[in-house]
Amino acid sequence: MKAGAWRLWTGRRWLIVATIVVFGWCVARLGTQVISHTSGANPLASTLRFFGAAFSPSLTDQNPSLPDDATPFLWRLGGDLLRTLRYALIATAMAIPAGFTLGFLASEQWWPRQRARWLWQGIRWPVRIFLSLIRSIHELIWAIFFLSAFGDFAMTACLALALPFTGTLAKVFSELMDEARNSAHEVIMSSGGSGAQAFLGSVLPSALPDMVTYSLYRFECALRSSAVLGFIGIETVGLSIMRSFESTYYGEVWTALYLLIITIVLIEAFGHLIRKRLTDGVVRGGGIEDVISEEKLRRTAPRDRLLRASSLVWLLAILGAFQIGDRLIKPMAEGQQEARLSRFWTKITPDPVAPEKGVSTWDERKEAWAEGADEVIPWMAQIWESPGAEALANTVAMSVAAIIVAGVMALLLVPWAMRTLATGKPLGLASGGGSVRVMLGHVTRGFFVASRAVPEYLYAFLLVGLMGPSAWPLVFALALHNVGILGRLWSEVGENQNSGEARAVMQVGGGRLQAFYSSLLPLSLNRFLLFFFYRWESCMREATVLGMLGFSSLGYYISIRKSFREYDEILFFSLLGAAVIIVGDIVSDVLRRKLREG
Amino acid sequence: MGALTVSDVSHHYGATRALSRVALKMSPGEQIALIGASGCGKTTLLKLLGLQERPTSGEVTVMGCGLGKGKSSMLRTTRSKIGMLPQDLGLVPNLRVVQNVILGRSGKRWLPGTVRDLLWPAKEEREKIFEILDRMGVAEKMYDRTDSLSGGQQQRVALSRTLYQGAEILLADEPLSAVDPARARDVLALLTSLSRENGSTLVVSLHQEALAREFFPRVIGLNKGEVVFDGQPDEAQIESLYDL
Repeated sequence: MKAGAWRLWTGRRWLIVATIVVFGWCVARLGTQVISHTSGANPLASTLRFFGAAFSPSLTDQNPSLPDDATPFLWRLGGDLLRTLRYALIATAMAIPAGFTLGFLASEQWWPRQRARWLWQGIRWPVRIFLSLIRSIHELIWAIFFLSAFGDFAMTACLALALPFTGTLAKVFSELMDEARNSAHEVIMSSGGSGAQAFLGSVLPSALPDMVTYSLYRFECALRSSAVLGFIGIETVGLSIMRSFESTYYGEVWTALYLLIITIVLIEAFGHLIRKRLTDGVVRGGGIEDVISEEKLRRTAPRDRLLRASSLVWLLAILGAFQIGDRLIKPMAEGQQEARLSRFWTKITPDPVAPEKGVSTWDERKEAWAEGADEVIPWMAQIWESPGAEALANTVAMSVAAIIVAGVMALLLVPWAMRTLATGKPLGLASGGGSVRVMLGHVTRGFFVASRAVPEYLYAFLLVGLMGPSAWPLVFALALHNVGILGRLWSEVGENQNSGEARAVMQVGGGRLQAFYSSLLPLSLNRFLLFFFYRWESCMREATVLGMLGFSSLGYYISIRKSFREYDEILFFSLLGAAVIIVGDIVSDVLRRKLREG
Repeated sequence: MGALTVSDVSHHYGATRALSRVALKMSPGEQIALIGASGCGKTTLLKLLGLQERPTSGEVTVMGCGLGKGKSSMLRTTRSKIGMLPQDLGLVPNLRVVQNVILGRSGKRWLPGTVRDLLWPAKEEREKIFEILDRMGVAEKMYDRTDSLSGGQQQRVALSRTLYQGAEILLADEPLSAVDPARARDVLALLTSLSRENGSTLVVSLHQEALAREFFPRVIGLNKGEVVFDGQPDEAQIESLYDL
């Protein structure tokens, strides 16, 4: 092959070839059967009935056999939504301080000097590994463990959400702190300040706006995850949706979905507003008199009343969430909690080294370990052989197929959504068809907002119900949620791109789509890929649990083992998924760094 | 007061030589300009003078203190007398002006004191800062967010920080890099007059040799990490700065 042709193939074109090859592998693994109803079922009729109900959401109970004195549907749904919000609030309130502390320890900030670097690395890396582990295991799996270990309390749901969210917040906080190290830090250090003073005076204030807005985004995610906890029996809005769908009360399902979407969209809009206020700040209104004094300036200093009021509202909401509603922890009879924990510990211990009695002493556990330690590796090898390896491969295939479908959909939709193109003056050039483009822009962005507002698990549950249990409803569910996120992120990248070249394309008669695909897309490709890999990690994490809805992947075996309370095997399957996520995390970290460097 | 000594100093970044066998003495109250092409070692020399980095070989002593010499408390005390004015000014954009200025005293405060300064600065400190900002012509911006100020105003805020710090030595790295030519003279006039009034040593790195000769009695020329002249240079010496 000539050098020129070789360069062509080692350029960005390899991406297209690699994507097609990888997608082909996914199809080979997952099969080509998209709809898999058993004979007799009429999927088309139920699908039509389901989507028909979208136009007539129910405001009353659809169940005709409910007694007259039953709590009205909307009242019940409101209660479920409040509980969903409560769990999300408490979990976020616990995850933020924990994430901040661990994020600080995982960052480069707390050991600013080069002395005793080994000591710093000796603490930093274990913290980072711990954080990777807790965020790689899905909140549904944490909930399964905690329900067994602590019992069915409100706090169990909150802890299940808080633990992985702590890991994610800590990772992002540590990155934000590291990126916020600036010359103000050097100035404070070089004027005799300590590392702690430089952190407080420059790093923290610089990172704080992003930390606040990211925390609000995590609250939005916690709300979605809190709804999903309903699918394992915790009383949140997910449970109402599941019950209504299984009883084919589709009108009720849509009411709950609309309510959830509206709540999440409102929180997202609020997050945008706060971000803007934090970034722009408040400018002093009115002029300053000739004679000024320190006192007068301080009294009239620009203050953001909205930020202050919303901080107060958040504080009150968090306090209310802890105080109002069902008790977070219900006291048990003496010794009952210890016995419960002990039984859980026995069940999560690998079978060959688990003590015979559920409630065992420390000595009995040690004895069991000593007797069966040799059997642990063969036990793991056996699960890996069947069904671990295949389940893992299927889970990876699902996540990869989903992110490819989402990426392709987003690529097709982004030029219609970008504010700089969906206008009468695309890229600042006068053009025709403005009002239609503006309307299409609103519709596409609205689709992005709605599609990311619904959690993947909820989509998957509904799609499996309509299409039958196969891999593809799960893939589409993941893709549908992620197209909303990728669409938004990619649109923002495209809008911020220097549009000189794209404008040149339009000036010589090219259309909006030509300007996007021939100029804006190649210019933005690196940043598009950064977000693509970031979302793939998230898809992998979700794919681990989506199998619980009935496709032979890690989640499927987790749900089977859950019925038999075989928590040791659930842990093994969860760690398999976590290992892939951690490896993926490292690979995408390296790729992201390379792409960032160009 | 602010005496600086550079004894046979060489400095490397990996395989790259930034400074080579530099020896200089700077007396208290002197006003010095460092000039030379980009990458000639001006910023490195300023970092070494600010005791931010230890030279690869040789020694830098500032007011009798050097890195690796004496106790860390002594180093901290010395650093608290060195004011740095980096190229991008080193201000935290989303803090108020008063908070940025008050951080100048970090070297003279302990951690709880810094927390208090940032959240509830004492009345006498606020008044002191107001006076300094008034002198610099930006008093009305005292409680505004720093990023709402113009570039010139931000430069005055950064200078106010060094005044509030009570710096005996001021090291300014390319203070004219973001200033239009019409304002460049004002900035240098301000820096030199402040140095004269406070009796502080001023070391400024510059690209504009004409301005350096006009405002500074002593001009040090650097080329490829070596000092090529020290004093008031003639045209031939200026040209030697750009010999590659």
